[in-house]
Amino acid sequence: MNTCVIGRGLPRIDSVPKVTGEAQYTVDLKMPGMLSGKILRSPQPHALITSIDTSAAKNLAGVQAVITARDVPDGQFSFYAHLADKNILCTTRVRYVGDEVAAVAAIDDDTAEEALSLIKVEYEPLPAVYDVEEAMQPGSPLVHPEKEGNVTWTVQRLFGDPDKAFAECDVVVEGKYVTHQVAHTCMEVSNCIAKWDAKDRLTIWTNTQAPHTQRQEVARVLGISKRNVRVINSYMGGGFGSKLVMDMKLPIAAILSRNTGRPVRIVNTRAEEFTTSKTRYPYTMYLKTGATKDGRIVARDLKLIGDAGAYHDKGPATINFSSMMFGTLYNVPNIRFEGLLVYTNKEMGTAFRGFGNPQVSFATETQLDELAEKLGMDPVELRLKNSNEAGMETSCGADVCGCGMGECITAAADGIGWNEKRGKKDGKTLRGVGLANMVHTGGGGRFYGFNSAEAFVKLSDDGTVTLITSALEMGQGAHTTMAQILAEELGVRLSDINVLSNDTDLTPYDLGSWGSRATFMNGNAVLAAGRDARRVVGEAAAEMLEADVMEIVVEEGKVWVRGSDEKHDLAEIVEHAVNVHGSPLSGTGEFIDTLPEGYTVPTAFAKNIPCFSFGTQAAEVEVDIETGQVHVIRVIAAHETGTTINQTMAEGQIEGAVVQGIGYALVEELVRADGKILNDSFLDYKILNIGDVPEITAVCIESIGTNGPYGAKGIGEPGLVPTAPAIANAVFDAVGVRFYELPMTPERVLKALKESGRSEGGSS
Amino acid sequence: MKRELHITVNGDAHHLLVDERRTLLEVVRDDIGLTGTKNGCGAGECGACTVLLDNEPVNSCLVLAHEADGQAVVTIEGLAKGTVLHPVQEAFVEQGATQCGFCTPGMVISTKALLDRTPDPTREEILKGLRGNLCRCTGYLKIIDAVEAAKCLLREEGAE
Amino acid sequence: MKAFDYMRPLSVEEACAALAGAGGTAKALAGGTDLLVQMKHGKLQPKALVSLRSVPGLSFVRVADDGGLVIGAATPLGKVEYSPLVRAGFPAIAGAAAWIGSVQVRSRATVGGNLCNASPAADMAPILIAYGATATISDGRAERTLPLEDFFTGPGKTVLRPGELLTVLSVPAPSPGSFGIYRKAYRSAMDIATVGIGVVAVFAPAATTTAAVFSAELVIQDVRLVLGAVGPTPFRARAAERVLAGQKLDESLIDLASRTASKEAKPITDMRASAEYRTTLVEVLTRRALLAARSWAEKGEQE
Repeated sequence: MNTCVIGRGLPRIDSVPKVTGEAQYTVDLKMPGMLSGKILRSPQPHALITSIDTSAAKNLAGVQAVITARDVPDGQFSFYAHLADKNILCTTRVRYVGDEVAAVAAIDDDTAEEALSLIKVEYEPLPAVYDVEEAMQPGSPLVHPEKEGNVTWTVQRLFGDPDKAFAECDVVVEGKYVTHQVAHTCMEVSNCIAKWDAKDRLTIWTNTQAPHTQRQEVARVLGISKRNVRVINSYMGGGFGSKLVMDMKLPIAAILSRNTGRPVRIVNTRAEEFTTSKTRYPYTMYLKTGATKDGRIVARDLKLIGDAGAYHDKGPATINFSSMMFGTLYNVPNIRFEGLLVYTNKEMGTAFRGFGNPQVSFATETQLDELAEKLGMDPVELRLKNSNEAGMETSCGADVCGCGMGECITAAADGIGWNEKRGKKDGKTLRGVGLANMVHTGGGGRFYGFNSAEAFVKLSDDGTVTLITSALEMGQGAHTTMAQILAEELGVRLSDINVLSNDTDLTPYDLGSWGSRATFMNGNAVLAAGRDARRVVGEAAAEMLEADVMEIVVEEGKVWVRGSDEKHDLAEIVEHAVNVHGSPLSGTGEFIDTLPEGYTVPTAFAKNIPCFSFGTQAAEVEVDIETGQVHVIRVIAAHETGTTINQTMAEGQIEGAVVQGIGYALVEELVRADGKILNDSFLDYKILNIGDVPEITAVCIESIGTNGPYGAKGIGEPGLVPTAPAIANAVFDAVGVRFYELPMTPERVLKALKESGRSEGGSS
Repeated sequence: MKRELHITVNGDAHHLLVDERRTLLEVVRDDIGLTGTKNGCGAGECGACTVLLDNEPVNSCLVLAHEADGQAVVTIEGLAKGTVLHPVQEAFVEQGATQCGFCTPGMVISTKALLDRTPDPTREEILKGLRGNLCRCTGYLKIIDAVEAAKCLLREEGAE
Repeated sequence: MKAFDYMRPLSVEEACAALAGAGGTAKALAGGTDLLVQMKHGKLQPKALVSLRSVPGLSFVRVADDGGLVIGAATPLGKVEYSPLVRAGFPAIAGAAAWIGSVQVRSRATVGGNLCNASPAADMAPILIAYGATATISDGRAERTLPLEDFFTGPGKTVLRPGELLTVLSVPAPSPGSFGIYRKAYRSAMDIATVGIGVVAVFAPAATTTAAVFSAELVIQDVRLVLGAVGPTPFRARAAERVLAGQKLDESLIDLASRTASKEAKPITDMRASAEYRTTLVEVLTRRALLAARSWAEKGEQE
């Protein structure tokens, strides 16, 4: 494929404003008369609210409004309307430490803080439950007593005949795996400003990954018409899934603004960001794998218990997605899956880069290594033997079009030096290598029942081009990707393009930026819009230059008739069309992704995924057996990009995801006592700093046969998925110890080493 | 209680009446209106609020504004000269070292401080100089590349 | 933050007078990197902040006539880290300073602040105590000096009385054959020490000493071994010191001393680490510190 712009590692179009400090985030906005809003949150994990006295707070000078549940609409909310279970402000009961109880708006932050301290709330503590398996027991405290139990949602999937297959196969491995609660730690905390205009229309400025969806959610929970809600976004300081579902501060700010007649801003403190901005869903998993003695995986059985926390959010979607990926990888013919979502009195979960897949991959890919050991097979060989293939529909119905799985495995294994390093235990070096595979979506999903994107291209008489798209820029490079696609199709330079994506009044209706969706969905729409714009430019040029439209060339913002030396600026063509001919030039494009004929969302299962992306990571670690520290020395991350639109950006996405994956595997964990999170700061919730990162080699595997733009697959999420199992498998190679729980902190590693007799430190 | 504060920010003198509780970060962002410097954690852990105070990199969220009375502050907005980027900024752009960009102002200021003090840092010195700037997006590798590239750009500039 | 009186004294006398007022709730403000965090979280609510920025004579590093080190209490850690005087004569002190926080923190945080905050994990305490440092305290009229190991009375507590200010840290000139090291266990570079070990070992000179190798016989003449973050205050592991004194620092002595030190540790279990793990780390880090000391004495290699 001959392309001019696609495939080049061009500098991002948003880099300059970001390095100069000009880039504005919603937290940077200021408005005349703006008040500071703050939320009073429950200090109790589970309690009845017996009384609230706001009189002292209301009387504090500088306080403009104080609200409690009686001042807000009493409808409940959740991402799924039919599972709605959360009030804007708690009415009679609080269900986790951090639950919203009251809110104030005041002239400044200090006054608002003081007002919060003056609100008197009486609680009657109730027994709380923190462990999902305890919560499932009869007699456990009920997080939502109006429901029958704490198991709030379940799903079962069955393909083939697993019982028969397990009974007949040669080797079976079983295990229980537990993953933990981790925080997104976006550098920009969740924030919003709410303001009503004279026509009673609400505008909310907020760092959201899904402005159109959140607009609907705000309208729904406030009980107002959607037409009266507008959501405006800006550059976002990170998302990673935390900014997909509406945060309660949005309707709270809206109500405070309504009551005061002034704009109200609410910004999370960093502590609130850790304790209330929602986390990755912890999973408890019971996994069984069965194989023939020559290494063909014939059956898998996974029971997955997802810890919802105190309220519903994206739990069902996350568990469904987990099941789809579980069902697709390795094309296992017999699969049983049971998923349960269980309430506990903890901060609730939400979407987080990987969306249930990192959790499941930790279990499946470490168990696969155990299977390899039992079979006496090399783990790489076992994976190659069971590799998915292009063009094959799996037993669970996944349509795998392009598939570079074999290349990913080989690239990762070769890159880490598998043959030289694996299994070399000489008693001296405590180094080891490990590998893990994954499959993920490379284009979002159809599980809303629809999946589409639109794009508009406006051509200006100064030669610039405005692209109106709903692809949001939260750091993943979506604006640059869209601009590159447009530049390629239209024949302009990146510097000619302005990208607008920030206003629900302006941008096409869209499900938002998540699930590695933007490149695939919005990219295809921009490609179509770009072609449409190219067509009208060609026609206008043909008319102006009196040539055949097939002979018009447009490149780097210049237009000419093929074979002629006379090159015109695009500006001239548009100027002529607009000001002489009287017809403005623009392009429109859409991309509609539908379920295959005959399927619905529940029946489609893995056919909900328009495009699969495979990947493999290999890690080399060194274990300090005196302290238990695991040092990651290098990671090779081989991921499918289909066609790499921007090499630098693709590497950046993979590198950043791997570093998050290392944190997930070794260091990060929200720690509690009596339901209260203890490490609500960067001091004690550790994320990797620059001194902690290993060598990372990102390998972009370009495989053909996908339906993304130029064959591209999304790369935003996959880099996080196989890192933890790759590291766990490497630790096993180094010291012979397997882990069934994350994170593998130094203390846990040392304990495991002592129990296995490998430790050399400590006299206890 | 409010008190008179005199500080120079990016070469401009400011005379303000500022509550004693306010931090340098708040004054820079809210009173002076330079929002490039960011509030990441408020506790001196993440470095998003890094500015130069009399040429030393500091976490402005932990400096009371009045403690900086009479001193010179340089924020991210003070680096470029019109449309001409500072070599550190240029290097960050070229090397793809920005993603969401929220850590970038602090990261760039810390890099400038590092290279001002140590024009030819070893990799260890680079890591040490930037340990106080957290990034959640990039995985840091391209930031290290940017520091190396900035080192060369500054050397070339110095040689001209 | 709650409101406070912000004061800017121009001398130690004025500073002490200001600290004596406000009913004992005044706090000295040096770098503010610990203080402001606690004030923002409401853990500390001083009625007055006494800024030291305009008090002369509190920020300096110099060598005394007898070769000892004298550091003003309000000297930023970054100055200690990069001071040629400290690096030349007391490299482990510069090394300990370099562990703390980040460059940004070290631009502001001071030695005195680190000590007066009196976290059981204060990174400057173990190595300064190991070097035999003394602390000088002024009340505006008179001064008193005491060994730094007696300065701490409990977590967050020191001997400072209202109206007193820590002004100077003094470190005696180390004996020839001294090797100092500060070792810290961390999950990441910016961590508050889960365990910190400060060791100053003085090796007896050998009969023949070359320039590179100090003491091939490896006999410990004198040693101070200080544990941080494993007790309510930093403290000397005296039993381990007794095990080492006068003995040849060989493999089995290192093992014995490390085990002894770990038995002296009195750590708590908190979110950062369990008591058991901290105890293990004391043994491991003590061993590594002593191995480094031995390596220096044998081969002259300094970190």
